[in-house]
Amino acid sequence: MPPLLTSYFLRFLNSIIKAGENKVGNFSIVTISREVESLGDEIALRLSKKLGLEVIDRERWVSVLEEWRPGFPTEPPLDDQAQREWMTAVRSFLQERAEKRAFVLLGRGGQRILEGLDSVFHLLVVAPTEARLRRIMEKYNQDEVTAARILAEQDLQRERFLLRHFGIDWKNPLYYHLTLNTGSYQVEEACHLIMEAMKKVADRMVIPGKQESLFEEKNFLKEAVVFSHPSEEEFARILDFYNIRWLYEPRTFPLAWDSEGNVVEAFAPDFYLPDFDLFIELTTQKQKLTWKKNKKVRRLKELYPEVKIKLIYARDYQHIVRKFGGSK
Amino acid sequence: MIEQARLGNLVFSREEVAKRVQEVGAEISRDYEGRRPLLLVILRGAVYFAVDLSRTLSVPFDIDFMALSPFKPGLQRVEIEKDVDTPLAGRDVLVIEDIVDTGLTLNFLLRHLEKRFPRSIRVCSFLNCPGRRIAEVEIHYFCFEIPDIYVVGYGLDFKGDFRNLPEVYTLYDPTGRDTQILKKMGKGGKK
Repeated sequence: MPPLLTSYFLRFLNSIIKAGENKVGNFSIVTISREVESLGDEIALRLSKKLGLEVIDRERWVSVLEEWRPGFPTEPPLDDQAQREWMTAVRSFLQERAEKRAFVLLGRGGQRILEGLDSVFHLLVVAPTEARLRRIMEKYNQDEVTAARILAEQDLQRERFLLRHFGIDWKNPLYYHLTLNTGSYQVEEACHLIMEAMKKVADRMVIPGKQESLFEEKNFLKEAVVFSHPSEEEFARILDFYNIRWLYEPRTFPLAWDSEGNVVEAFAPDFYLPDFDLFIELTTQKQKLTWKKNKKVRRLKELYPEVKIKLIYARDYQHIVRKFGGSK
Repeated sequence: MIEQARLGNLVFSREEVAKRVQEVGAEISRDYEGRRPLLLVILRGAVYFAVDLSRTLSVPFDIDFMALSPFKPGLQRVEIEKDVDTPLAGRDVLVIEDIVDTGLTLNFLLRHLEKRFPRSIRVCSFLNCPGRRIAEVEIHYFCFEIPDIYVVGYGLDFKGDFRNLPEVYTLYDPTGRDTQILKKMGKGGKK
């Protein structure tokens, strides 16, 4: 057999043997970090079935650590020294465990705990905000506003957990071997790509070098929004400028009904800011002419006391524009 | 004297300002006893307040400065024009602002600073204008709460003017609305 073919044959044979040991290449651990509702959980399950790996999710993580050392904290302490000791101990434990059976570690700061180990493949799964929003709406049967609030809260919670306990900006792609956007791939295709990437990395076929950040956040919605007034468009630009997510007229609140229960008056505030759970209504009319809007806002507050709404008058709006257009 | 013609009512005299700055400084000194906070001054408006405030502190401190790009058409995202020179990891950071109104700038800043792993972040603002708030941000210390009026002086400017005034004034408002609001506050003496 020619030497080149022999080499390929041996490599093929090697990959079969290793697959039999529940490994792709030298990897005995796959860590999956994922955005909320990015299909990261589904990918973890499918990948684990394909490779015969155990899945360690949040629930399993608690029981695994409890079996190992009863009472051991399930997340790193906040004290620097205690945090370092926790990381060292858990890192060694996970490596030992993987020698017995390979596994997928879902979340739990795996990218940080097992950073830099040759036997670990780190994956980040992301998806366009719009797609994640739609999934939450369908999964929990929620409207767009509620879904946007849930998403904003969970995104922030995840960001803060990783920052607080592991000291990382977890969306930095340089923590990962592969960053996968499920806006472009089905779960099955994604698994195929991941396995290909694992083989490539294992074969050291990757070209070292820095990745460009993939996380320049764009507008919350991808479709072009048609604003009813130029001031709304300008306000949206200010929100974008400060990286604040917004939805334009996402909800209409019924305010009055006729005797047959038909809605005869309704109000759709201009903006919803999910990060602050706040509706914003802009008005460019003179203060004297705003009584109709004031009345609507008052009625909305009466009927929906849980809804937070702020009416920005022309004068307030001019202050905002003057301030942000000024010299600060 | 065209600039002075645009000034409206006196809102806070220099004596009132000095008294409140002293009081807030004492409060900060108590809260930070045994620690060495880093005063992070947001350029440019907060400089006047920061200098006076720092003179009232009885705890040792470090001082550094940051500047963010103002909103302007064509610039898609806020940018850090001047970053801090001091590492923030493990530090007790006290952000010094001139005024917090919409909270948009401060919200961005705090989210950004969190990623530098400070031990704590607190905010001290000369003025607090909660009526204009859009982004929810916690203001730990402030000298005065003001209603929805546009004010200048003591670092606050209008197109670069009036920063150097030792008092706080409204901008001249021909409708008289500001005067009425100030009257309700028991204020409104003319300059």
